[in-house]
Amino acid sequence: MLHLRPENLLVQKTLTEAWNASESGSPLTLDRVISDFDYTTLHVSNSPDNKNVLWLSIKTKAWQSVSKCGDGFLEHLQSKYSGFSGIAPVGQPEQGYDYTLSVDLAQLQPDAIVQLSLLKIHMMSFAFQLAFHEFSLLSQQAQDPASFSGSNDTGTVRQLQYRDDENIFIKPSNDRITVIFETFFQDETDKVFGKVFLQEFVDARKRNRSIQSAPQVLFSHEPPLEAASVMTSRKADKNRRFITFVLFQRHFQTPELQFSSVCHLALFRNYFHYHIKCSKAYMHSRMRYRVDTFIKVLNRAKLDEKDDGDQTRRTITGRKLVY
Amino acid sequence: MSQSLRPYLTAVRYSLQAALNLTNFSSQEVERHNRPEVEVPNTSAELLLQPMHVSRNEHEQVLIEPSVNSVRVSIKVKQADEIEQILVHKFTRFLEQRAESFYVLRRVPIEGFSISFLITNKHTETMKTEKLVDFIIEFMEEVDKEISEMKLFLNARARFVAEAYLGEFVY
Amino acid sequence: MSYLNNPAIVMDNGTGLTKLGFAGNDSPSWVFPTAIATAQRSATKSGGSGASSSTMQNQSAPYFGNSTSATSFNSLASAALMSNNLAGKRGTEDLDFYIGNEALSAAQGPSYSLSYPIRHGQVENWDHMERFWENSIFKYLRTEPEDHFFLLTEPPLNPPENREQVAEIFFESFNCAGLYIAVQAVLALAASWTSSKVVDRSLTGTVIDSGDGVTHVIPVAEGYVIGSAIKNIPIAGRDITLFIQSLLRERGEEDTTLRTAERIKQEYCYVCSDIVKEFNKFDRDSEKFAQFIVENTEKTKRKVIDVGYERFLAPEIFFNPEIASSDFLTPLPTVVDQTIQACPIDVRKGLYNNIVLSGGSTMFKDFGRRLQRDLKGLVNNRIALSESLSGTRSTGVDVQVISHRRQRNAVWFGGSLLAQTAEFKGYCHTKKDYEEIGPEIVRNFSLFNMV
Repeated sequence: MLHLRPENLLVQKTLTEAWNASESGSPLTLDRVISDFDYTTLHVSNSPDNKNVLWLSIKTKAWQSVSKCGDGFLEHLQSKYSGFSGIAPVGQPEQGYDYTLSVDLAQLQPDAIVQLSLLKIHMMSFAFQLAFHEFSLLSQQAQDPASFSGSNDTGTVRQLQYRDDENIFIKPSNDRITVIFETFFQDETDKVFGKVFLQEFVDARKRNRSIQSAPQVLFSHEPPLEAASVMTSRKADKNRRFITFVLFQRHFQTPELQFSSVCHLALFRNYFHYHIKCSKAYMHSRMRYRVDTFIKVLNRAKLDEKDDGDQTRRTITGRKLVY
Repeated sequence: MSQSLRPYLTAVRYSLQAALNLTNFSSQEVERHNRPEVEVPNTSAELLLQPMHVSRNEHEQVLIEPSVNSVRVSIKVKQADEIEQILVHKFTRFLEQRAESFYVLRRVPIEGFSISFLITNKHTETMKTEKLVDFIIEFMEEVDKEISEMKLFLNARARFVAEAYLGEFVY
Repeated sequence: MSYLNNPAIVMDNGTGLTKLGFAGNDSPSWVFPTAIATAQRSATKSGGSGASSSTMQNQSAPYFGNSTSATSFNSLASAALMSNNLAGKRGTEDLDFYIGNEALSAAQGPSYSLSYPIRHGQVENWDHMERFWENSIFKYLRTEPEDHFFLLTEPPLNPPENREQVAEIFFESFNCAGLYIAVQAVLALAASWTSSKVVDRSLTGTVIDSGDGVTHVIPVAEGYVIGSAIKNIPIAGRDITLFIQSLLRERGEEDTTLRTAERIKQEYCYVCSDIVKEFNKFDRDSEKFAQFIVENTEKTKRKVIDVGYERFLAPEIFFNPEIASSDFLTPLPTVVDQTIQACPIDVRKGLYNNIVLSGGSTMFKDFGRRLQRDLKGLVNNRIALSESLSGTRSTGVDVQVISHRRQRNAVWFGGSLLAQTAEFKGYCHTKKDYEEIGPEIVRNFSLFNMV
């Protein structure tokens, strides 16, 4: 597996099962916890009064900071599902969760299942949407020489706290959108491996012509200027790294491009850590192979056990007498 | 093999061959004990021989500590940078974890070295000394090779992963 | 530390099936074969790097669709990239594999070879197992192992070295937050606490674990497996299926595939109290005979298969093995009795009192009742004999076999029960402990006592 997929397979499977069961007339009783990356927990359960209606609730670390990014968050989420009949938000989210959708199995379509499995991405995409929107305003201003103030540093920085200690900062300006990941390594090995990986992210674009049009990547130990304004009271930490992606208009021209860029950016940290782990796993298998060859070499040194009847006496079953 | 590696390995080989001249020797201090004399804090200096230090440069050294019934061989593996350091550490830890099947491997290296072997008279009695030396030499060659291969792999993988990720943004 | 609120992950890797899921759920989220299909080295190397990965993609597309493809070199842009990136040279074969059901279908193609990393309950191929776990965690469970605690299972008598290897993988490769390794039989006992028959939640009892390949009888005293007394029976699910198949063939039914036999086993079989009476019942009452209908995939042809005596004869091979096999002749109740008799005398009462079933092949209707009746007969005979010889009155032994609704995935369910408790995380070894002490830390785990 090279890429992590944005959709949650388990949500798809659970909903499909529930849908099939409901079609055949024997709806399932469900109360399942499903998890996703970055402290996200989803909960699928029957609605209190109707077994053919499911509740899909989400609780995620990033919820609070995303909802603080701007107005219209719930409307944004709702708009993602308004095209499908039978899916509606529940006014009061389930206890302990941030957001609840009710899903009527009788009206569920396969497309809707895929969209439901993307719930977390849709949630994250709100902050990016705002940035895309602000970008278009800023770039229009910049084209209009009358109102152009000369500085292109006017966009608002939006902060997404998606893990305990890690944030994403999104800053639009009139010609680009800067997305900064703050990341943090707990493990010593990961830190070193991570450094190698990040360096390659930075260099990849320069080296390979075919990905020249990908976003520019920068990497630093100090918070970049774009994010520095919001990073006021944070103490400096040696294990902290900042990865900056610079998106240009070509990366978010159409809604489809916007969606795919958001998917990849939202999964960046997971992708990156996943591959660190894969390389460690691969090294383990190399080392296992090495251990085997070393043991083979060492075993060559062993003396053959000599079987001269005079010195080792054997019982009739072939066992050696030890004395 | 680079110019200076061969003399280095040859030096280690001859020193080891000289050192691996072991005999069964009961402890002088504790009755009915027979222990590797290099490993016990020793009061009788006559049981220990002069340690030999073979050094290629400050990063690659071998310390051979012979005694009457055991030899301790400690190897410092080349660690040029942070990555190699972590790889050597991981690799030696992995080997030490499986010390049981290596007979002569010490679970903990001597301070200042990456990995240590302890060869006792029991080992030389059941194994051919010549081949044991071969094993140590081959080990030294292979470890260096393995570490640099792993480092290459890591860089290649990182590049591949980075390009694959950024490639998703090419529309 | 908000990862403490994340649900723990329960993974039960068996010889045949792997069950994955989150603690607190009532059933595993994923159940699939413990199989891995790896790219065959020759296939990836011989074709030019870019070409081979794109042809592989084309071949696999009909099986999986894009959404679940393992190595998704699927966007057009990246497929073109791979050719100048020299993917093959860079050694990315280790990312190109499938697990579970996807592995089974991938192995039908020419470029993948299938293997089962677990044999006889124990991990045989650690390289494959590590990658199997990697994919389970990131693709199927979608979790960052750093944020979750893990509960894994192991067979009884698993060597401690294997545990250390597991710890090495989970802490060093995956950086998991915490790890607990539990013995399968103990979890099966814990799963039985959901049954209404269980009054005290003790970890003493006999576990009868019958899967596809082999049936184990495992005595557990206060959470510890009595290793010396474990007995294995070479009769399990597969033998029952084969027996049904042979009966169908003898009768010359239209469809005698293994799949049909398996469906009949799952849907029609039950355990009777007496074979002779049951034969008479069938002869008197034709209602007892059933019909099983096989349809081909296009639903155009139908085959009707009669299901007769095999309904009760098939599971009977547990109790009268001579009807199916010629080399193993001891009935299950006798084996259970021998197992318990091989245990220390002070725990035997507890073992008779709490006989717990686990695994798919114990799911037959009335399996537990029949076992309890037969075993009671054996025990009572022995008591009567000793009473008559010694002349003293015995206090009697209570034999109780417990069946419950979670029997099929009992081990997983037991794990889910334990891992959702608040204390669970206290019993785990954490990444910090591991770094402090090393892999040998997992040789010991404190036992749960939930009383």
